[in-house]
Amino acid sequence: MTTDMQMESYLKVLRQHLAPLTLNEREEIVMEIAAHVRDSAEQSGASVEAVLARLGPAEALAAQYRDGLLISRASRSLSPLLLLRATLRVSSKGIAGIVVFFVGLFGYAMGGGLVVTALLKPILPANTGLWILDGHVVSSGVLFPPPALPAHEVLGMSYILIALVLGSLTLLATTWAIRSFLRLSHGLDAQLKRLG
Amino acid sequence: MAKSEPRLSSRTPEAEQPDRWEAQLRKGAVEMAALASLWQGRLYGLEIIRYLETHSQLALAEGTIYPVLNRLKAEGLLTSEWVEAEAGHPRKYYSMTDAGRDRLRGMAEAWTSFAAGLSRLLEPVLNEKEKAQ
Repeated sequence: MTTDMQMESYLKVLRQHLAPLTLNEREEIVMEIAAHVRDSAEQSGASVEAVLARLGPAEALAAQYRDGLLISRASRSLSPLLLLRATLRVSSKGIAGIVVFFVGLFGYAMGGGLVVTALLKPILPANTGLWILDGHVVSSGVLFPPPALPAHEVLGMSYILIALVLGSLTLLATTWAIRSFLRLSHGLDAQLKRLG
Repeated sequence: MAKSEPRLSSRTPEAEQPDRWEAQLRKGAVEMAALASLWQGRLYGLEIIRYLETHSQLALAEGTIYPVLNRLKAEGLLTSEWVEAEAGHPRKYYSMTDAGRDRLRGMAEAWTSFAAGLSRLLEPVLNEKEKAQ
C-alpha cells in the first residue's frame, strides 16, 4: 500500500465513525488530522504508517471526538432527548449513569405528566384534580370515571396553577440534575477512557 | 482464575498501579496543559504537542490532544483559524478566547494551592528518602 492509500483509508474510517457530527465539523476534523499526519511525518522523519500508528485506531480517535462533543454539548443543553442520550452514553461505562438515566426518565415523565394534567383541567374539569376521602389523598390526575363519592375533589381550578408549578419545577430539577451529573462525570470519564 | 481468587490475584494490578496512577494524573491535566500552551499566542496541534513535550515533559499520545482541543473549542474556551502554510497545506491554529483565559487563571490558582498542600503533606516522605541516601 502506498502512503497516500494508507492515509486515505485511515481518513475514510475516521470520517465514517464521525457520522453523528455535522458535515462541517467532520470535514474540519479530517482536514486537521490529515495535516497532522503530513507535518508529523515530515518533521520527525517517521513514515506515514508510523504516524498513523501513533494516532491509534481511527475508530478510537473518532469515539473520543464523539463522546467529548456529545457530553459537553448536552451539559449545556435543555433538550431532554440530548440529555438522556448523553446520560445513556455515560451509562455504558458505569452504574451511576444507568441510575441517572432512569431517574431522569422518571423525572421527565412525572413533570411532563403534571403539566399535561394542568392543561387538561379546563377541558375535563370533572375528571381532573386531587381527590380526598377522610383526610387522605385517594387519587390525582385525569381519571375516567372520577373517584366516586364520598371522595371529593378539593382543589378546583387552582389545580391548574399547582400542577403547572409542580410540573415545571420537576422538569427544571431533572434537567439541572442530569446536567450536573454530566459535568461531573465528564472529566472523570474522559480520563479513564484515555488510559485505555 | 482471576475471578475465583480475587484476593490473591489482586497483587498484579497493585504492582501496576503506580504507572496507572501517574498516567491518570498526567492525562487529567491535559485540558489545563493545552490551554496553558496557548497563553502566549496561537499554535497548531502538532506545535502544542511539541510545546508540551519540551516545556513540561508531558508526552501525550498524539491522538489525545485533538479531541480535547475540539471540545475546548466547542465550550468557547478556544477559537481556531485555518492558515495557509509554506508546507503546502493549511494548518488549524488555535488561540484562546477571553473565557479561556479566565478559565485557565482559575485552573492555575486551584492547581497551585492543591499542589502546595500535597507537597507539604509529602515532605516527611521525601525527607526520609534523603536521609536514607
